[in-house]
Amino acid sequence: MENSQKRILMAKTGLDGHWRGPTIVARALRDAGFEVIMIGMANTDDIVSAAVDEDVDLVGLNIGGHIDVAIRAIKRVQEARPGLPIFAGGTIPPHAAKQLQALGVEVYPPGSQLADIVDAAERLTGTK
Amino acid sequence: MTKNSTDKPVTSTSGIELKPYYTAADIPEQHKQHVDVAPGEAPFHRGFHASGYRSKPWRIFQLSGFGKPEDENERIKFLLKSGETGFIMEHDRNTADHCYNVNHPEVVARREDVGLTGAVMQSIRDTAICMDGLPVDTSFGHAGGAVVQHAPFALAAYWTVAKQRGFDLRTLSGTGQSDFNLTYLGCVTKEQIPTDAGLRFNADIIEFCAEFLPRWVPVSIAGYNAADTGLTPDQELGVLFANAVEYLDEIKRRGNMSLVQAAQGCGGVSFRASIHIIEEACKMRAARFMWSQLLRERYDISDPKVGNLRIHCVTAGSKMTYQQPFNNIVRGTAMALGAILGGVQSLGVSGYDEALSIPSEHAHQMSIRIQQILQEETGIADVTDPLGGSFYVETLTAKLIEKAWAFFESIQKQGGYLAALDSGWLHAQAGENQYQEFMKTESGDQKIIGVNCFRDDESPFEVDGFMGTDDAFDVATERLNDVLRTRHEVGAARALKQLEADCRSDKNIMPVMMDALAAEVTLGEIGDVYRDVFGNWNTPIQT
Repeated sequence: MENSQKRILMAKTGLDGHWRGPTIVARALRDAGFEVIMIGMANTDDIVSAAVDEDVDLVGLNIGGHIDVAIRAIKRVQEARPGLPIFAGGTIPPHAAKQLQALGVEVYPPGSQLADIVDAAERLTGTK
Repeated sequence: MTKNSTDKPVTSTSGIELKPYYTAADIPEQHKQHVDVAPGEAPFHRGFHASGYRSKPWRIFQLSGFGKPEDENERIKFLLKSGETGFIMEHDRNTADHCYNVNHPEVVARREDVGLTGAVMQSIRDTAICMDGLPVDTSFGHAGGAVVQHAPFALAAYWTVAKQRGFDLRTLSGTGQSDFNLTYLGCVTKEQIPTDAGLRFNADIIEFCAEFLPRWVPVSIAGYNAADTGLTPDQELGVLFANAVEYLDEIKRRGNMSLVQAAQGCGGVSFRASIHIIEEACKMRAARFMWSQLLRERYDISDPKVGNLRIHCVTAGSKMTYQQPFNNIVRGTAMALGAILGGVQSLGVSGYDEALSIPSEHAHQMSIRIQQILQEETGIADVTDPLGGSFYVETLTAKLIEKAWAFFESIQKQGGYLAALDSGWLHAQAGENQYQEFMKTESGDQKIIGVNCFRDDESPFEVDGFMGTDDAFDVATERLNDVLRTRHEVGAARALKQLEADCRSDKNIMPVMMDALAAEVTLGEIGDVYRDVFGNWNTPIQT
């Protein structure tokens, strides 16, 4: 399976507009052939409807705030699209990363390698 | 820096090729005449004042705030007790940056985020709690209002509370922010007034301060967010002066105040101090040179009091690593050193837990201790412009000036600074740089200790993210309801109506903003007026 047949939704859970991290990741994923749908700052309802309507294969969340906001979105996505893989990046402190991992979400904190993120996208969407 | 082989070119962050060593012959011809000018004299690259830090140590000035206004108040008092010499009031980004009250659906949807990045201040009652017992009369205060559309509210709230406590506004010293590079480039909000309305707000604030708050820096022209979002040091300089020109030209066009006075007000700027120590020091030297040159050549202002730039600096948050966070104490020290060698007047050092969360009390205190050790123990403050005359430093300063003016010109070619923001041209520059920078660390060309090399961590200390308090949203909701229930409704409605009328006219909005705050009009109501009158900025990038 080719990466180009896979769609990745990217959203920011917070209302904080720093865009450096998610745009670098989006560019790397696009360079690897994925179709990336960026919806920017999005609340739980926005994220769930985009995950359903856009029929994506993977959700990437940029998390810059409290982990409970992200967890609410993750649980709702998991209800709406059972089995849809989710990965996350951003300023996610260790205690919060553990909470996400317990929900089956892979975590890529600051300092992660783009190659590892692209690799994860290929693994999670089943192209590799 | 790359130094695996001696044939490989070594460049500064600005892409200036660096020689293994420098001699007098390297200093560009046009710069030689300036090398021996004393600090405190035009063109000022050697420093703000001849006696430098001997007569006035740099201000220790840390970003601070979280939770409820009383939590923020407590943290500020802790920092002042730890030796901070000014204070900064951060506002919650969710509410402040967007001018939303806490009951706005976009805020309610993220209720746990509320208070994580600053206290929620929706009316002067909240601001009064945050300012309780703070030395507003003797200390240099930052009222918040980082984002352009929020600044009139934050400033008017601070000034109104100060007035109610009996302080004379004419004696208050402090700073606003209204930062264009934060608002429209580095940290793009979900909703924001368009750039032309933002320019009008900033000109209003500059004129209002000239009349009523002569000791206040009305707006801070700031390169930090341009740099932390990807612009290189030369570009940071160029964009900062392109921004300055936009304000000064607007003040000139309006013709309500003297340009000299406006230039003096705008002459307190802010930069990022990143980790290439020598280039960053040269950047501060270049900035002072460029400001004095700009005023002289473009506006015919040669008054040395006006041409002498004052600089606040914050160390680069994006250089702080998630991995092995205690290494960041060293990075903070190195970045602070670059700023100090460059002769800045004011400094904030990022917390060692910057990549994990807002600073814990301990991280915050360390940021102050770093500065105190540099100030008191190292002798770095003894002699002004300690690098002055170095063949390397003078050459790099001159080359930065040249490159920075070239970037300034390329912004003018885009139709000016506002046009370059509206079109997304600056975002594209920053985006390309940040990607290239990232690829350098990805390839290992740029080593980051603990991140792409030396990843073994034997620190016995665990650092986790500081999460503030968990009742900020609930308390803010209660307090909002309380204000709306108990304020004098007729007065509030009248002030709000007048605010809308003044926004639609070309009147200065600050007098009516002061009235609105005194009448306990709330942040979200003011934001609704803005959205109605000005509409939203058409964001050129998808974040």
